[in-house]
Amino acid sequence: MSEAYVPVEAGFGLEEGYLSLEDILMSQERLPCRAETALPRLAAVLGKAGAEPLGSVPEGTKLEIPLWLAKGLYDNKRRVISVELPKIYKESWRTVFTADANVVDLHKLGPFYYGFGSQLLNFDSPENAEIAQTILQTFIGRFRRIMDSSQNAYNEDTSALVARLDELERVLFRVGQKGLNDFQSWEMGQASQITASSLVQNYRKRKFTDLDS
Amino acid sequence: MFGEKAIELIRELHRASDGQLPAFNEDGIRQVLEEMKALYEQNQADVNEAKSGHSELISTIKFRHCSLLRNRRCIVAYLYDRLLRIRALRWEYGSVLPNAVRFHMSAEEMEWFNQYKKSLATYMRSIGGGEGLDLTQDIKPPKSLYIEVRCLKDYGEFEIDDGTIILLKKNSQHFLPRWKCEQLIRQGILEHVLS
Amino acid sequence: MFLSDFRKEFYEVVLNQRVLLLVASDVDALCACKILQALFQCDHVQYTLVPVSGWQELETAFLEHKDQFQYFVLINCGANIDLLEVLQPEEDIIFFVCDTHRPINIVNVYNETQIKLLVKQDNDLEIPAYDDIFRDEEDSGNESDESEPSGKRQRFEEEVVERTMKRRQRREWEARRQEILFDYEQYEYHGTSCAMMMFELAWIMSKDLNDMLWWAIVGLTDQWVQDKITQMKYVTDIGALQRHVSRHNHRNGDEENSLSIDCMRIAFEYDLCLALYQHWSLYESLCNTCYTSASLKLWSVQGQKKLQEFFADMGLPLKQVKQKFHSMDISLKENLREMIEESANKFGMKDLRVQTFSIHFGFKNKFLASDVVYAASSLMENTEKDESGTDNFIKALDSLSRSNLDKLHQGLELAKKQLCAIQRTVASCICTNLVISQGPFLYCYLMEGTPDVKLFSRPISLCLLSKYLLRSFIYSTKNKRCKLLPMVMAAPLDIEQGTVIMVGIPPQTESSDKKNFFGRAFEKAAENTNSRTLHNYFDMSIIELKMEDRSKFLDALISLLS
Repeated sequence: MSEAYVPVEAGFGLEEGYLSLEDILMSQERLPCRAETALPRLAAVLGKAGAEPLGSVPEGTKLEIPLWLAKGLYDNKRRVISVELPKIYKESWRTVFTADANVVDLHKLGPFYYGFGSQLLNFDSPENAEIAQTILQTFIGRFRRIMDSSQNAYNEDTSALVARLDELERVLFRVGQKGLNDFQSWEMGQASQITASSLVQNYRKRKFTDLDS
Repeated sequence: MFGEKAIELIRELHRASDGQLPAFNEDGIRQVLEEMKALYEQNQADVNEAKSGHSELISTIKFRHCSLLRNRRCIVAYLYDRLLRIRALRWEYGSVLPNAVRFHMSAEEMEWFNQYKKSLATYMRSIGGGEGLDLTQDIKPPKSLYIEVRCLKDYGEFEIDDGTIILLKKNSQHFLPRWKCEQLIRQGILEHVLS
Repeated sequence: MFLSDFRKEFYEVVLNQRVLLLVASDVDALCACKILQALFQCDHVQYTLVPVSGWQELETAFLEHKDQFQYFVLINCGANIDLLEVLQPEEDIIFFVCDTHRPINIVNVYNETQIKLLVKQDNDLEIPAYDDIFRDEEDSGNESDESEPSGKRQRFEEEVVERTMKRRQRREWEARRQEILFDYEQYEYHGTSCAMMMFELAWIMSKDLNDMLWWAIVGLTDQWVQDKITQMKYVTDIGALQRHVSRHNHRNGDEENSLSIDCMRIAFEYDLCLALYQHWSLYESLCNTCYTSASLKLWSVQGQKKLQEFFADMGLPLKQVKQKFHSMDISLKENLREMIEESANKFGMKDLRVQTFSIHFGFKNKFLASDVVYAASSLMENTEKDESGTDNFIKALDSLSRSNLDKLHQGLELAKKQLCAIQRTVASCICTNLVISQGPFLYCYLMEGTPDVKLFSRPISLCLLSKYLLRSFIYSTKNKRCKLLPMVMAAPLDIEQGTVIMVGIPPQTESSDKKNFFGRAFEKAAENTNSRTLHNYFDMSIIELKMEDRSKFLDALISLLS
């Protein structure tokens, strides 16, 4: 990885990183909502066209909208929309997580389980305390394995190890791998070796494809 | 749904996770700006309507407004992340970028790069006790004054400080002062050989 | 001129200069190069290293760099031609030549200013005296006296007589000069290993390290593997190196002060000369080592039977012997060397053990010097991928560093393939009677389409093949006269261009002095027939030839040597 390129970090807790690419992608994930008032002229946009593209979406319609939109339209008086919890944050799934967090495929269920879950807390659900607790416990339960595997998989195919990790966990895994690789290279006396910039090496490989496109 | 094109821009950038600079998606930006213009105009019209009694339009206006904010956020993040990558190029690669990279930059980004270069150069000149200090060298602590390098491709003549010229031909090896070679190694012309 | 003090006359001269190293493509040169590189790196002597595989590349490299460098070091090339004539350097350019090729060109020997030889003045150099080869022109001085209107007729007659005598003397001198030169240059042979010379340089500067010593050992072993030096010289040089090995590695015997297992150590070995046997199975190694395969005549059915008997005699079950050497039962490996030697003696193989050295570092890594030689030379002549000669050179050079074990292992695998290919080819040549006697020499031509023939388009591989073939032939033939003949071998080089590569090797006898006359013979034969040949390799006994000119060239060679 190029060391001079340090992307904007994802936010923490209830805050999003405004410029963070990760957080932008995370907030694109959808969640189920209910329209608390009619939404005129938005039928097509919300995929409810039917006959009229500029028709109104009636009050009470069930919607699936991205998080950024939900956050923007939500207020504590629920005048425009009310938000439902996605099923993996509901009670039934929460019990699964508390039972054994390691078994769950967070990539399939997420892939932004922790980030998205933290953002859900903005919507004043009565279950917020439990949700927060479950998310925390899940992380604690899975962390050990992630750390172990990242520190012990050297020079091998790690796709099986990261397949079931959510994005935050994958970042952690990569950090662990980098530390391992740096240490190994230091041990082999390669730490002082000046290397070609990784930015350049890949450009050479891609040059022809760029010309084609 | 609004903001689809904008999120595509972000995805494109996110895919190049190793710091590579993809081509500047002028088309994409243009489309997002167009969407923003349309949203803004629709909202302007609807605000006037709402003022004259149609208060049920307020939720729609709010909806469009969120989309505008979203598009803005995506574009700003896109541009900013690209600048971070371009800045990294100065440190990792050098002050003269290869054509392949330059084709991927917009005119404004090129201008920014030049300004950044100048700022950095001015700063580096001002430190080091009046003599200046090249901060982009010796990024890894050096172990020796001289290093062994191997030429990976035919480069031609290469001048070192005191006017002497070295011919860099593929597969020739050279033992040279470290500071001469660092740039060429980072550019992939030479390879640092550890014995 | 010969340098007597390498340190003062070579090293200290280049100490603050930039140097161009031109390195030939053989393992001895690589080893010498590694030692010199290590010394230069220690003292921050800036250098550029350019690999060269023949005279053309040498010339090109020189022309490209002559404006940038004043000092050139030639490793294992350049001694046997008139460098000044060929390269036409400026007057301030100096060449340091460390080369095993003999005879050293007479101009190189007597030039005092530009050619400096980093060569040991062995007894066998037999350099002709200066006056026999070079002569100042004094006659012109006497001619001018003629212009004086001397009245004395007597003196005039005397002068005429004097001049006639001088001319006759000169002709006699020239005739004798030709003879002396002919004798001097007739036979090619090799002197002390370059790597050993470089090691000596390091030693007199007290900068020698165990690593450098190992490279010197590998360089010497390369000369032995390629049959370039006599047995006696080999043993003498081993003795010289043994003293250094003891000096550097004496701590191993002492239990208390012994070094960590990871430290590199060199040990003297009186080990089996079975190629790569510790990295292979004993069975395969025996089958693919020239000495054993020829002595047992393994290309024949009886030979195979004898092989089984041989193992039976040693009490080694076939199943064990065909396993990887490391997996063999430990009980069988105890005293293996002595056991094999004893049995070998019964089967007529008296020289199965040879004096050599091995290197250890870490628990897994143990290599004999010959292992490294085979690995490096097969990397250098690798024909598997279409990589350029210089790519292979770099790989081979890297494989000599202990930090590049993966390359060394790659080389070992390639070497095994090469040895197997050689044995197969030898067997097929013997069985199909491809080796024919042309009178003064034996001849063998590998046709296109022979399996593995691409491998033998490289000089070192082809030489190795011919030496093995000759030895096997000697064992297979009943013709007493043929056993004493030298051999010429040819193989296709480039099918599109229609060229073949041809090598000539001296006869294999017990007391062979390894002197090779084919270099000059090839030159003469090419001249006589106007054949299109390329004498590009540093060894004059290896040439390239147009396929169409092959027969007339051979005829000329036959008549030349009869």
